[in-house]
Amino acid sequence: MPDPRLAREVIASPFAIQGLTVSYDHRPVVHSVDFVVPPGSMTAIVGPNGAGKSSLLKAALGITRRLTGEVRVFGRPIEQMSRHVAFVPQRNSVDWDFPARVIDVVAMGLFRDLRWWQFSGRDHRRRAMESLGRVGMEAFADRQIGQLSGGQQQRVFLARALVQEADLTILDEPFAGVDAATETAIVEVLKSLRDEGRTLLCVHHDLSTVRDYFDHVLLLNVRRIAAGPVAEVFVERHLQATYGGRLSPVQLARLVGSAAEVGGR
Amino acid sequence: METWWHALTFSLGYNTSVVTLGSMLLAAAAGMVGTFVLLRKRALVSDAISHSTLPGLALAFILVGLVTGDGRLLPALLLGAAASAALGLWAVQAISARTRLGEDAAIGAVLSTFFAFGVVLITVIQSMRVTGQSGLTGYLVGATAGMLASEAQLIAACALGLLAAVLVMRRDFLMVCFDADFARTQGVNTWRVDLLLLMLLMAVVVVGMKVTGLILIVALTIIPPVAARFWTDQPMAMVALAALLGALSGYLGVTLSSVSEGLPTGPLIVLCAFGLFLASFLFSPRRGVLASLLAYRRFRQRVHLRQGLLALGRDEPIFDGLTLSLLRRRGYIRRDGVATPPGQAAARDAEHEERLWALYRERYPDDALHREHAGLTPIAQVLSADAIMALEAQLMGLREMRP
Repeated sequence: MPDPRLAREVIASPFAIQGLTVSYDHRPVVHSVDFVVPPGSMTAIVGPNGAGKSSLLKAALGITRRLTGEVRVFGRPIEQMSRHVAFVPQRNSVDWDFPARVIDVVAMGLFRDLRWWQFSGRDHRRRAMESLGRVGMEAFADRQIGQLSGGQQQRVFLARALVQEADLTILDEPFAGVDAATETAIVEVLKSLRDEGRTLLCVHHDLSTVRDYFDHVLLLNVRRIAAGPVAEVFVERHLQATYGGRLSPVQLARLVGSAAEVGGR
Repeated sequence: METWWHALTFSLGYNTSVVTLGSMLLAAAAGMVGTFVLLRKRALVSDAISHSTLPGLALAFILVGLVTGDGRLLPALLLGAAASAALGLWAVQAISARTRLGEDAAIGAVLSTFFAFGVVLITVIQSMRVTGQSGLTGYLVGATAGMLASEAQLIAACALGLLAAVLVMRRDFLMVCFDADFARTQGVNTWRVDLLLLMLLMAVVVVGMKVTGLILIVALTIIPPVAARFWTDQPMAMVALAALLGALSGYLGVTLSSVSEGLPTGPLIVLCAFGLFLASFLFSPRRGVLASLLAYRRFRQRVHLRQGLLALGRDEPIFDGLTLSLLRRRGYIRRDGVATPPGQAAARDAEHEERLWALYRERYPDDALHREHAGLTPIAQVLSADAIMALEAQLMGLREMRP
């Protein structure tokens, strides 16, 4: 049972961060961030370069060390609940000349379901192929991963996460350097996951698409600037605070102008 | 030649057969462990391990020699070597983790220091009154000729244990090698997996010392995996193939060394492994030199064919001899250079492909940059179906705008 003293929203949330600080050489890159991801939401983490977006995710997931802070999945420490969390890392974090086919990479998502004496059987292959189908890549199953384009690599990484059928999928810059068709395809898959009641958390860098893709947002610049539903939080005041006045009036007008439209509808 | 044939067919007596089999098992284990080490991009670590075995080996020899008068006691020597290799590994890890030096610098520093210390100890041994000193050189270049069956059995048993360990850990190793961050989110303790991989590597080095010598064992953990990479794109197939190639070089090397007294086993095994590597490098159908040359020829022909077809479509004259002969051979033009009906159809297809690719380059310049030869491969082989549909739709839209 989760600790009964926890807030109800923390117990309900698939990803609740409390007091997370990450530092490299005594310099905090993420400072004391609290953030509760609402269940069933599609949430973006937005902030300028060097704001600690990826560092926050990596530390929260236990990939890098965190200085302080707790991360809970449905009220329990994430270390016990990692089965419920799927992660899509940045595409350039691996060597794509690795001797593996697309299907081998997707099968890595099945790691937990396979014991050492088992060889991956027909059922596992079927599940991997299903995930590949969802991202439109089933024709590429036996292709060497080095032959894929950037967009296709991203689709394969997404398929590897899909095969885990996790409640929460965390993506680190899934739209960086992919073609427009792939971006649309990925957004479609993510929205279909949300419609199944799953939760999505994305590091996102393109401010102009935040409104179209996401319903919740965390504005981050080392510290938490603001968080909540996009319509309430994604406004000029918070954006200026996040980007430290680096957004031009034209950019802001475009972003906030669309906010006015949404508000008026 | 005849002796070699006897050795190859295991008819040179029980002892030689056991030694050959033991060496083959060891080489197979080295290939398997080496594949993961190579994929983890830490091939140099095996070099550090092998060099740092020397002081431990020499110290063990001195201690055993002082007690019994003869330093050659294989289990004790292996333990000593393992202990100092572990110390060397720890030093490499500590230096690269706690200082600003990279792992390569740490490896260089540790490797040379340990080896220097070992060499000093060996000169000490040479001045001691202990028997079996000549046996020690066997650990430097490998000597299976004088190996006892019991020693070979010990080596074989260790190698079998290593093979089993790799089999059990194969998925963890693979995950960590490909994407350590992802592995950690899957609950894999990557630190422990890395440590275990290094332990296995150390075991290979220590056990293999007697067979190939402590310096050359490194070759068995690197050459067979690299050769295997030429033949396959599947991770587990690469591991299996590296084991096979390793065993094969062990088999050839050990049998060759039994041809005449005093032939060093280690260098022979390594040279055999290199021969296998060279054959893979030249003749592999996937990445070999010969295949690359052929692929280049095919590519050139494709460029000529495409340019020829585009010229046909635009009714431009073609002068290039290769282009003309390619078009003629496929029946796209008649002898006098006039396009045939299939030639006209092919020209139209080529033009359409070209337009799709042009649109693709225009719309997604970043992505197009990543693709080599973008435009020559049929677009359906490169892009997924939905992406092509989107392009086709855009192309239609463009045509309607500019009737």
